[in-house]
Amino acid sequence: MLFWQMAWRNVWRYRRRSVLTVLTIALGLSFDILMRGIGDGFHEQMVDNSVRAGIGHIEIHRSGYQRDPALLKTLPDLPLLERLVPRTPHLRGYSFRVLGDGLASTAENSTGVRIIGIVPGAERSVTTIDRAVIAGEFLDDRMSRPALIGERLSQSLGAQLNDKIVLMVQAADGSMGAQLFRVAGIFRSGSPDLDRSVVYLLRRDAQALLSLGDGVSEAALLLDSSQMVDDARRFLTGRLAGAPVEVLPWYVVQPFLRQFIELDDDFFYIIVLILFIVISVGILNTVMMSVFERVREFGVMMALGTRPRQVVRLVMQESAVLALLGAVLGAGLGSASTMLFAYTGIDLSGYSAGASALGLTTTVSYPELTARNLISSDLSVVLVVLLVALYPAVKAAGLRPVEAIRHV
Amino acid sequence: MVLAPALFLLFPFAAPVRAAGPDALTIARKCDAALKGKTQHGTASMTVQTPEWQRTLQMTFWYDYPDKTFIRITGPAKDAGTGTLRLGSNMWTWLPSVERVIKVPPSLMLQAWMGSDFTNDDLAKESSLPTDYTHQVEGETTEDGDVCYRLVATPKPNAPVVWGKLVLLIRKTDFLPRREEFYDDRGALQKTLYLDRIRKAGSRDYPMRWRMVSHSKPGHETTLSFSSLEFDKPLPASVFTRQNLERHF
Amino acid sequence: MAQIEVVGVSKTYRNHVAVHALTDVNLTIAKGELVAAVGPSGSGKTTLLNLIGAIDRPDSGVIRIAGLEITSAPAGQLADFRLQHLGFVFQSFNLFPVLSVLENLEFVPALRGTPKRERVQRAERLLADVGMTDLRDKRPDELSGGQQQRVAVLRAILSEPDVVLADEPTANLDSENAALLLDMMERLNRERAITFLFSTHDPAVMSRARRLIRLRDGRIMGDEARES
Repeated sequence: MLFWQMAWRNVWRYRRRSVLTVLTIALGLSFDILMRGIGDGFHEQMVDNSVRAGIGHIEIHRSGYQRDPALLKTLPDLPLLERLVPRTPHLRGYSFRVLGDGLASTAENSTGVRIIGIVPGAERSVTTIDRAVIAGEFLDDRMSRPALIGERLSQSLGAQLNDKIVLMVQAADGSMGAQLFRVAGIFRSGSPDLDRSVVYLLRRDAQALLSLGDGVSEAALLLDSSQMVDDARRFLTGRLAGAPVEVLPWYVVQPFLRQFIELDDDFFYIIVLILFIVISVGILNTVMMSVFERVREFGVMMALGTRPRQVVRLVMQESAVLALLGAVLGAGLGSASTMLFAYTGIDLSGYSAGASALGLTTTVSYPELTARNLISSDLSVVLVVLLVALYPAVKAAGLRPVEAIRHV
Repeated sequence: MVLAPALFLLFPFAAPVRAAGPDALTIARKCDAALKGKTQHGTASMTVQTPEWQRTLQMTFWYDYPDKTFIRITGPAKDAGTGTLRLGSNMWTWLPSVERVIKVPPSLMLQAWMGSDFTNDDLAKESSLPTDYTHQVEGETTEDGDVCYRLVATPKPNAPVVWGKLVLLIRKTDFLPRREEFYDDRGALQKTLYLDRIRKAGSRDYPMRWRMVSHSKPGHETTLSFSSLEFDKPLPASVFTRQNLERHF
Repeated sequence: MAQIEVVGVSKTYRNHVAVHALTDVNLTIAKGELVAAVGPSGSGKTTLLNLIGAIDRPDSGVIRIAGLEITSAPAGQLADFRLQHLGFVFQSFNLFPVLSVLENLEFVPALRGTPKRERVQRAERLLADVGMTDLRDKRPDELSGGQQQRVAVLRAILSEPDVVLADEPTANLDSENAALLLDMMERLNRERAITFLFSTHDPAVMSRARRLIRLRDGRIMGDEARES
C-alpha cells in the first residue's frame, strides 16, 4: 500500500513530464479508438450495401450450388424451409428466389444475362433494389410478364420502358425456353455488374420460363446486423441437420468483401502499431529519465532492505499509474470523438467514385463505437506501456546499492 | 447442320511425313473432299443426352459452302419452327414462341447449340482447316475395323480457333474420317466425335451417324443421325435469307 | 557474543588501476558500542562500513554480524539481512522526498510486514520520545538539513537493528546541528543499547565516540577506547 502511495506521488513529482506522457498515451489511444470506429463503420456499411444489394446476410441453397450452380439444383424440402426460415432469430426479412442464366435480346442487340425471379413483397424485405428504380416501377404481382432491368442493360439492348425483350434460356428439362417480357422498370444500383447483366422477373414467370415448376433456387435472409450471422446460422444448420442444403454466410458467398475488410484492417493495424511504437519511445524516455534521476534514492531504498523485485514493482506501479490515467483519458476522448462523428456522419461525397467502386452506395459513413474495440484498445495501450516500462524497471532493480548511493 | 463446319474441322493439311503413301496435306484435302460438297441438303435427328434428361430434335438443313447455313427444327412440337441462319460470321435464331428473331452475339459462339455438345462456333465456323492448321501424320491405327491414318492438326499462330490440337483417324481406303478428338490449349481432351454407319448417299459413301461425346461434362453426348442427304444440288439463294428465317412455319 | 566480527577481510577495487581499499583487516565490536572509524579519505573507512553493512562483499575474509556470517550468504539474501538486522544513515539524501516524516519512518517496518496501525504507533511514539512530533507530517524538503539527518537516525533505529551504520553523518551539518545529531545518537545508544558504527573525519564526532579505530591505506593503525 505504501508502494502505491509512493508510486502515485512519484508520478506527480515530475508533473510536467507525467502530464505530457499521459496526454501522449491518451491521444494515441483516442486515435486508435476513433480510427477503429471509422473503419468499422465503413466496413459495416460496405457489408450492408452488398447484403442489401442482393446477397443477404445468409443464403440457403441445395448443397453444392455455390461451388457449381445448376438450374436443377433447386432447394429441397421447400415446405420445411418455408416454415423454418421465418423463425430464424434476428430476422428482418427473407426472400425465396429463382436464379438462372439466359440471353436477352432486342432487335438491336443480344447479351447474356442473369435472371432473378422474385416475389416483390418478399424481395423488398431483403434488398434495396426497389429503391434503385429510376424509371417505371418495381415489379408487382399484378403485372403481366414484367422485367426489371439495369440502366446499362437497357442502354446496351436499346430497351426503353415498355419495350419488349426476348429472354431465351436453356430450361431445366434441356429444352430451349423463350418468352417475351415487357420492361416495367429500369434501375440504377450503383453496382456496374447489377446494372449491366441482371434481369428481375416475377418468380412465377421465371419458373415458367425455366421449366422449374414450383422449384426455387435459393433463400436469402436479411438479419438485424451482420454481427448476428453466426447466431442465425447456428439456428438454421441445427434444424436442417441431414438435409442436403448449404447455409452460407455473406462472407462465403462473396469472400472478396471480407478479404478486403481484413486487408483494410491489417493496414490499419500497421498504422496503429507504428503509432504505438512512437508512443512507446516517448514513454520509455520518460520512465528512464525518472529512474535515472532517482538512482541515489533507489540505492538508499535497496540499502535499507528493499529487494530488487520490489524496486521493479515500484517502477512498474508508477508506469501503471501513467498508463491507467492515459487509458481513462484516452477512452474518454476516443469515445467522445467517435460518438460525435457517429452523430454527424462523415461526408464521403468527395470520394464518390472510389466509394462506388468499393460497393458503397451511400455517401455518408457513420463510425461505430463498440465495447469490444474500446476494451481491446485500452488493454493494448496499457500493455504496451507496461511492457516498455519493464526495461527501465529491471535496470533500476539491477543497480548496485554501493554505487547507487554514491550517484550524484 | 454442323456438317459443313465439321467438314472444315476434319480437313487439316499437313507437310508429308513419309515418302511412301500420301502426305498429310493430301490426306486432309482428300478427307475434306470426301465429306463435303458444294452444297448439302437433308434431314437428320439429333439426340442430346445428359445425366438429367434426354431430348431428340428433328431438323432439316441446307448448307452452301463455305459460309451459308440454314437449319429448321421440325420436331418435337415445342421446338418446331425454330430456325437458325448463318451468313458469314453472323448468326440469327428465329423463336416461334415469341415470334422474334434474335441475333446471336459473338460472345455466345462457344455456347452449346440447342443444348447439344456441338457449339454455335462449330456451326458458324468459317475458319478453314487447311489454312488454319499445320498437319502431321503420326502412324496408322485401326478404328472399328478400318485401317486409318492418324492425323494431328495443330493451329497456326493467330488462327481463330479455340482448340489446342485436333487428332483425326482417317480411313485409308476412301479418306472418310472415323474419329476426331478435340484437345484444349492445355492438352486436355475435351470431346470426341465418332463417325459410323457409312452408307451410300447419292454417289458417295458417307457416315450417317455422328456421335459427339463430351469428356469435360461426364454423361453428356449428342448423336446426329442423317435420314436423308443430297450433295451438290443447286440451292436457291432465297433459302439463306432473314425472310426465310422469319417465315411462319 | 560479539556483535560484529571482521576476520581477515580484504577488498580491492579494479578500475584502471587496482586500488587496495582494505588489506587483511581484523576487528571485533561488541553489542552496544559506539565506535568511530576514522582516517583520511582513501583510508578505507567507507569500504569497511560498506562491507559490514552488507552492501558490498569482501574479496577475502569473513564477516559475522550477531553471529550470522554474511560473507557466505548468497547475494539474493543480503537485502533481507539488511532489512532485518541493519540500519543506515547516509551523509545526505536519506529520506524519500515523496513521503512524510512519519511515512519515512514507516518504510522499513512496512517492508518487514508490520501492520499499519502498529508501525504508525511505533513511529509516533519514537517521534514523541525525542520531541519531534511536530515534524510528523512534513515532507523532507520542508525540513532543515539537521532535522533530516535526525529523522534519518530515527528511521535507522526504529526497527531495532543489531547495528546502525552511519557514513559521515555530520559532514553536511553545521556544528550546532551536528551536536544535536550526536546527542540523539548517544542517547539512543545508551537507552536502547543499539550498536553504532560510524565513519568520520570530524573531530567533534570523534570526541563523542567511546572507541576510535584509525585506518590508513586500508589497514587498521590504531584502536583506542576513549573515555568521553
